[in-house]
Amino acid sequence: MTPVRRRIQVGLPRMLAWLLLAFLFAPMLVVIPVSLTDRDYLSLPQHGLSLAHYLPLLDWSAGWLPSILTSFTTALAASFAATTVAAAYAIGAWVYVGRWPSFLRVVLLSPLIVPPIIYAVGIVRLWSRLGLLDSWIGVVIVHVMLAIPLAVLAIGASLSNLDPRIVQAARSLGARPPTIFARVILPNLASGIGAGAVLAFITSWDEITVTLFITSRRLVTLPRRIWTSIADSVDPTLAAIASVMLLATLLGLLVRVLFFERGRPARSTRKSLL
Amino acid sequence: MTHFQRWALALTLPAAVLAIALYVFPIVQVLALSFLEPKPGFGNYVSLLGNAAIGRVVRTTIVVSALTTAITLVLSYIVAFAIVHMPRERRRVALFLVMVPFWISVLVRAFSWITILRRNGVLNSALVEAGAIQEPLDLVYNQLGVVIGMVHYMMPFAILLLVANLDDIDRRIIQAARSLGAQPATVFWRVWLPLSLPGLSIATLFTFIFSLGFLVTPALLGAGRVLMIAEYISVQISSTLRWGVATALSTLMLLAVGLLVAIAMRHPAFRAAFGGGHR
Repeated sequence: MTPVRRRIQVGLPRMLAWLLLAFLFAPMLVVIPVSLTDRDYLSLPQHGLSLAHYLPLLDWSAGWLPSILTSFTTALAASFAATTVAAAYAIGAWVYVGRWPSFLRVVLLSPLIVPPIIYAVGIVRLWSRLGLLDSWIGVVIVHVMLAIPLAVLAIGASLSNLDPRIVQAARSLGARPPTIFARVILPNLASGIGAGAVLAFITSWDEITVTLFITSRRLVTLPRRIWTSIADSVDPTLAAIASVMLLATLLGLLVRVLFFERGRPARSTRKSLL
Repeated sequence: MTHFQRWALALTLPAAVLAIALYVFPIVQVLALSFLEPKPGFGNYVSLLGNAAIGRVVRTTIVVSALTTAITLVLSYIVAFAIVHMPRERRRVALFLVMVPFWISVLVRAFSWITILRRNGVLNSALVEAGAIQEPLDLVYNQLGVVIGMVHYMMPFAILLLVANLDDIDRRIIQAARSLGAQPATVFWRVWLPLSLPGLSIATLFTFIFSLGFLVTPALLGAGRVLMIAEYISVQISSTLRWGVATALSTLMLLAVGLLVAIAMRHPAFRAAFGGGHR
């Protein structure tokens, strides 16, 4: 084969791959220039940049700030509860290997596969009977159920690196079960529990499908407010909030890539990305 | 069972109680309601079969999901294949570009596409100004817009699954093929592709199942003109209050997903991810 042909065979797909990576990344950046427009409608800046569309984000009565606060407290509570329950389950299943914990694992992970719309239909019915529609606690409980799978996966991954002989050693030294769980296993899981908590927080913070059906007027999470304003009219304030969320995500990922993945072997880095 | 194991079993109880009362029960209730509401019997399913509007929604869902899955898989394979061949530093950059959309809110992504694809959006304005077209093109609020948005949403999942799979392929097999004189094209078609079939099938399954039940992107980028099952169900329970139809459609969707997963479970890689506990 000629070198030219070889270069085309190798170079062309590689270029295509970078183009596709640009297709994944670049479109989201469009919200930044749009948020700086000097017009009242969705457009690129025409005669200059303006920060005017960021002002409503700081104005309590415009509704964005209360929604951010609602989403934040909801995500914090949901993350705490989901991580606690998931950690208890994961540790229990690690010690007691059997049919029951395996079966339960399938049930706990099923929200990853079952379309959320089906859960939404079921939970609307249950919440309307229990009077939990449009309530904070109702949303938190739903978010806990949707966040548990990710917390279970993260904590489970960190447990699979734990040496079972640690437990044997503790037992042979006469430690009682609660002591072993709380003072031997738990401290070794700090990184997995932290990762699980972050994943659970993000799940709740971003959740829209089920929230859409169980909230209406009183409780408006940030995704819900974004959803309504996309559906109603597209105004540049939306671009401002989208830019803030984009920049926060970029920053979070950059910090992770730059500070937490240095020096780790490439292999575990890849697995932790999933 | 030892004292210690009883303690361990007790630790799994809170998760069990929550999952059964607040996840399994609501879903079982959906199944039950499809036979009970508005009156007991198979009435809902019979009316689903004869309803032309629902037939259209189901067709749209299958067509859009299949298109999304096919396009996503081809494009993701190209990216994943390139990523596993990259040197370390470049690979980090590429994976970063994949992770950003993965973590960005689905709403921000849908909104970005609306901004770009609208009739007076960024892309159309640019094309008109450049003189490439006279009239703005209809790029969104139709099937094209929905598929673009969905492919963009699904690609990071598919790429990450495929990269994990392609990385596990033993490079010595590729070297062996080369040293036996196989051309690059032959190595790709007869070695790489067959060895990536497990990863490809898992990615296909996930993409297709996610697409079937997807609400947000199709609803926002289709604006009611590309009605998929999830959006149809949402209209039934929030505005027309036809619970029978909503629950019957949900049941059918759950059956379809269950069937696909049951087929996939015969695959060892999938079992390993979901079974757990077997160390």
